[in-house]
Amino acid sequence: MSLPKAQVIVYPGSNCDRDALWACKYVGFDAEFVDIHSDVNADLLVLPGGFSYGDYLRVGAVAAREPIAQKIRDFANHGGLVIGICNGFQILVEMGLLDGALLQNSNGRFISKIVELEITDTSTPFTNYYLKGERIRLPIAHGFGRYVKTREVNAVLKYTSDINGSDEFIAGIVNSNKNVFGLMPHPERAMEKLLGSDDGLRVFLSAFNYIKNHGGVRA
Amino acid sequence: MQKYTFVIDIQYKSNVRDPRGETIKRVLNDEYSIPVTSLRLGKSIHLEIEAESEEVALELVKKACKELLVNTVTETFEVRKL
Repeated sequence: MSLPKAQVIVYPGSNCDRDALWACKYVGFDAEFVDIHSDVNADLLVLPGGFSYGDYLRVGAVAAREPIAQKIRDFANHGGLVIGICNGFQILVEMGLLDGALLQNSNGRFISKIVELEITDTSTPFTNYYLKGERIRLPIAHGFGRYVKTREVNAVLKYTSDINGSDEFIAGIVNSNKNVFGLMPHPERAMEKLLGSDDGLRVFLSAFNYIKNHGGVRA
Repeated sequence: MQKYTFVIDIQYKSNVRDPRGETIKRVLNDEYSIPVTSLRLGKSIHLEIEAESEEVALELVKKACKELLVNTVTETFEVRKL
């Protein structure tokens, strides 16, 4: 079997795309960049952080309507693994692949720091290498990370204190099939202890081994 | 084809917190002693559109709102003809 393949979607204004690519390669993925006109041909799609289209209008709104959006939707509907980090999470919400909305932090400020989080669901392909209730540390860097629920959601990751005003301290969620994961913290920036934390490594390891064990959806 | 001009007023729903509005209100209260009791900061979009009639133009503007300009999960909107 060839290596699991990851594609990192580079939108105009993405700025965490290189870290995301590095993280995918680090755990063993055959990984490449694609753009908004590319075809999807992967086992894992990564929507990286950044400020796609300057976040004009609303965060993630324009990126969610680019030509690749329908391909992402088809891929997700066929069970493909999709992870949206920070701006990628905002794009997935704007696309309607994940419920709710992401609004300005309750204190009105951009928050950039390492925060403590609790893993609340280990039954997803992205978190099965963690322990339920485990506390981890990941960096956040966002102005619009206040998660607002519109219905009951599968929270996977919660802040252990009120960081940005999110409902129930929610930091990351999955869809009902658990193959689409969106989170505001940056696991791809926490791959090595040297950088302050390696608690993000297992997100990518979980996804890599899930694909190895279950087979990918790549045609 | 005729041109029509519309204003779209977009506001957060009343149950959605608006930190920008709260900050502006606080500054008006504290720094200028202006007794503003509520302030919500929304968006205003002015646009010109070509259509066969005003009705058609209005329908297209509403379509634009629902498809892209407004997140109906958290925002409401009103369209006025200029």
